[in-house]
Order: sequence, then C-alpha cells, then structure tokens
Amino acid sequence: MPGLKGRVVGQHWYTPYVFMLPGLLFYAAMFAWPAAIAIQLAFSDYDIVHPVRFSGLDNFVRLAHDPRVWIALRNSLLFVLMFLPLTVVAPLFLAMLVNLKLRAIQAFRMLYYLPVITSMVAVAVAWRYVFNREGVVNWLLGLFGAGPTDFLLDRHWALPTVVLLEAWKNAGLFMMIYLAGLQAVPADQLEAATIDGANAWQRLLHVVVPSLRPTFAVTLVLSMLEAMRAFESVYVLTRGGPLDATLTLGYYIWSKAFEDYDMGYASAVGLLLWAIMIVLAGFNLLVTRRRDV
Amino acid sequence: MARRLYRPKRRINGRRIGLYVLLIAVAALFVGPFLILLSAATKPASQDVFGFPPDLIPRPPVADWFREAWTTIPYARFLVNSVIYVGITVPVYLVVSALTAYPLARIAFRGRGVFFMLFLSIMFLPGELMLIPRFLVMSQLGLTDTFAAVILPAVLSSLGIFLLRQAFSQIPDEIVEAARVDGANEFAIFWRICVPIVAPTLAVLAILGFVSVWNSFIWPLVVLTSQSKFPIALGIAYLSGVSGTDVRGLAAGTVISLVPVVIVFLLLQKRILNSMGGAVKG
Repeated sequence: MPGLKGRVVGQHWYTPYVFMLPGLLFYAAMFAWPAAIAIQLAFSDYDIVHPVRFSGLDNFVRLAHDPRVWIALRNSLLFVLMFLPLTVVAPLFLAMLVNLKLRAIQAFRMLYYLPVITSMVAVAVAWRYVFNREGVVNWLLGLFGAGPTDFLLDRHWALPTVVLLEAWKNAGLFMMIYLAGLQAVPADQLEAATIDGANAWQRLLHVVVPSLRPTFAVTLVLSMLEAMRAFESVYVLTRGGPLDATLTLGYYIWSKAFEDYDMGYASAVGLLLWAIMIVLAGFNLLVTRRRDV
Repeated sequence: MARRLYRPKRRINGRRIGLYVLLIAVAALFVGPFLILLSAATKPASQDVFGFPPDLIPRPPVADWFREAWTTIPYARFLVNSVIYVGITVPVYLVVSALTAYPLARIAFRGRGVFFMLFLSIMFLPGELMLIPRFLVMSQLGLTDTFAAVILPAVLSSLGIFLLRQAFSQIPDEIVEAARVDGANEFAIFWRICVPIVAPTLAVLAILGFVSVWNSFIWPLVVLTSQSKFPIALGIAYLSGVSGTDVRGLAAGTVISLVPVVIVFLLLQKRILNSMGGAVKG
C-alpha cells in the first residue's frame, strides 16, 4: 500500500470515509440493520400486531419438530441435487458449442442467453403454456406413447419441472461463465494433445476440464446458492404445491412470514437457510483455496 | 479409396451443417417458449391456443389481445412505474457504487481491506432472506407502500462495488499523478478523470441494473399494497390473477412486458454477454 505513512497531497484522513459515506449509510440501513432485526426476531415471537416478545430458543425447538421444515429441507436439497448437473455440467457443453469459430455464433450466444434477462414472472407464464396438459411437451411425449401429465399439478413432477425452469433460465449465464473459462484454456496444450493423438473426448477430460478448475469452483457454488434460495420460481409456478411437493425453504419462510404473519418463526427458518448457505460458500472457499497452493 | 481422397473437404462442410443444425435445435429450446407465448398472444379467438399437434401459426394474426391486456389492467401505469423505478435506481446505484469503490481502489487507508470485505458481505445477505427484516425496517421508517421502499434496497450491490474497484485500480498512476501535480483535489480526480475512464464498467452495471430492476418482483410484492405503484412484473402477476383473463390476453400482456428488456438486450448484447465472464474471471 503506497502512501500509508506519508499522505498523498490533497488527501486527508477523512477523504476515503467521505467517499464511502453514502455506501456505508445504505449498507447500515438496508443490510446491517435488517440483518440484526432478523437475528433478533429468530429468538422472538412476533405477529406484527403484538409487540416483539423474546422467546429464547422456542422457535428453534419448534423448528426441529416441524415436519414441514423437514419437507422443505428435503425439497431444497433435492432441488440442489437436480439443479447441479443441469447448471454445472450441461452449460459446459453449451459453452463448447458456442465457442466454435462459426459465422453468426454471437447470435446463438444471444439466443441462449435470452431467458437470463427476462423476468421470472414472464417466463413462468410461457412455461405454463409449454408444460400444461395440452402443451407442446405433452404432445412430444405423446408421440412416444406417454399419456398427458399436468406437470405442475403432479406430486412427482412438480419439483423437477420447477428445477428445469430455473436451470433453463440460468443456463445462459453459466454458459457465459464457462465460455470465459474456455477462452483462457492454453491453445498450445490443446494442440499438443491433438498431436499426441487425443480425441475430442480425451482432450475435454484431460486438458479442458483440469484447466477449468477455478471456473468449476465458481459455477458449483453459484449453482448451489441459486438452488438453495430458489423462491420466485416456486412462487409464480406452484406456490409450494401440490401437497408441499415444491415447498422449498425459501417458500416456507415466505408463507410463514407473509401468510401466517409468524415473523419470529419465519426468521428462525431464515437463519437455518442462511447457515446452510454460509456452509456451502465456505465449502467453495476451500475448493478455491486449494487452487492457489 | 478414391472417395476417401476428397472426403476431408466435404466432411468439413457436413460437419459445419451438422453443427448449425445442433445450434438451431438448442436455440429452439431456449427461444421456443417465447415463440409459443407470442403465438398465443396473436391468435384470434376462433383458434385454439393449445391442442395436439401444436398449431403455432396464428390465422390470421390479431392485435386484439394486446389491446385487451392493455385495458384489463392499468398497463400504461405499470410501465411508467417501472420506468420511474429504473430511472431513479440505476443512476443512484452507479453514483453510490462508484463513490464507494473509488477509495477502496485508489486511496491508501487503514482498514481498507475490512471495508471491502464488508461490502462484499452483501453477497451473503440475499434479498430472499432480507424480506422480513427489510419490511420491518420500512415500516419503522414509515416507507411501506412508497416508491422509495422499492428503490432503497437496490442501490447497493457487491457486484457493482467489486467491478468498479477493479476498474478504478487498473487506471495507471501517471494519469492521476499528472492531475494531482496540477492541483486537482481528490473529488476532481475521481469525477473528471477516473469516472470517464471506467465508463465501460459503469455501462455494464447500468444494463445489469436495468434488467434486475425491471424484473424485480418479490420485494415490490412484499412492500407495496397500492396497485398504482406496481412495477410491470407485479402487474403481470396481477393480470394472471384477474379472473376471466383469457390465456391469450395474459400472453399478450407478458409479451409487452418483455419488449423493453429484449430491445435493450439486442442493442447492447455484446456488452452484456462479455460482462458476465469478465465479472467472474476478475
């Protein structure tokens, strides 16, 4: 750090804080303060009407015995498990496809990215048309003799359909992350492997994948966090139904807080979700750290 | 054997055609749902929206449903609201992010790393988890059901500070020193020299900010009660809840809401696409 001792001309001790003042104010009001309230509420009873009442660990005891928390936890983990291959593996192949030196390749990148920039609400409307009983997907399945299914109303299909929507919507983003990684793969290594007689599959496995390790660390954690906090898609497609089949932790928090006004308990579940996300992020830190060694 | 001799050239063409077929098939996967939406929105009432086999070409295409969506809900109002939300949030977001990132990159002071980590910690406070406490903060500030309540939480993001800090720190010292020798104060250096240099990063953040504000749904849903303040995404959800809305009308309303984002995307696609890889690589 240059100039830590001798101060630069025109800078005072307070200069950096003056610059950061608006940012710090917004941070305090919109992040630090709410975070403190969230922690306080997790140990309290609060229904909006009556004043906040400290209740110790009651919410967490209740949480441990609440079957719906376990359903939500299971659904969220299933969400992660289904979401991971769709966002960590499949987009790598998409990226390889749009990394080809072909005419108009930028147009294809753009088309694959389109769902990323459109709103979940709009996309959900489109998906309901695609996946409804008389929709295109059921017609295609019908060609193979499968009967029509109401995917979003079916206890077994609802969650995979929501996961598929989230993966479809985010695939372009993951693709672009991989594309940046692919373009940094050393060309001479690829060439050397080709000369040594490696086929495309071997080049992918032994040259491309190892050099993409830092990229995988990013996509892995991004994917896990996206899946854990999935909420908007559930809200607009299924509202947690049918029969809690798509009840994720995020949706459970919402419904406890803004349907039952059980703010304290909802905050406790929120803290649980937060803890899970921190653990997942820590896991990512370990993975990325190893690359520096 | 003779066939094999000139095979290589033809195979390259065959391979190229095959790749384009694959590219187009994948494109259909990503764009298909939007086309189905557009098809539903332009079909006349006499034509089924669904059915086996799917019949996607409207005969003839009609604009009735766009008119219906426009009048069933206060559509223009929602669009104007969204424009207001974007128009206020994005500039404030850019100014606050640039001001915050500048000293983190260019002024040496004790605790700089700590402040940087503090702002990066925003990443671990995702909006989904902040709904309840932020709602309570807004009630305490008396701001529920106001435009300000929608805007305030959106003016700070870890990505913005991260990218701008990176951009500021890449400015060569000589440029700044020259101005300093000429007697410019720190704010003048920031505003007249450094901000213009990081304009490309600001542009990327402006686009990302526009998209995220335009699409924001859950937070406005929580904090707004008056329909007159709804942004467009909330308006679409409202339209789909209005009883008796025809599937074609809902499709049309949805299509209109997509138009601004898609136009911005088409105009600035290179920047948007390149930003994501760059953000993660940095």
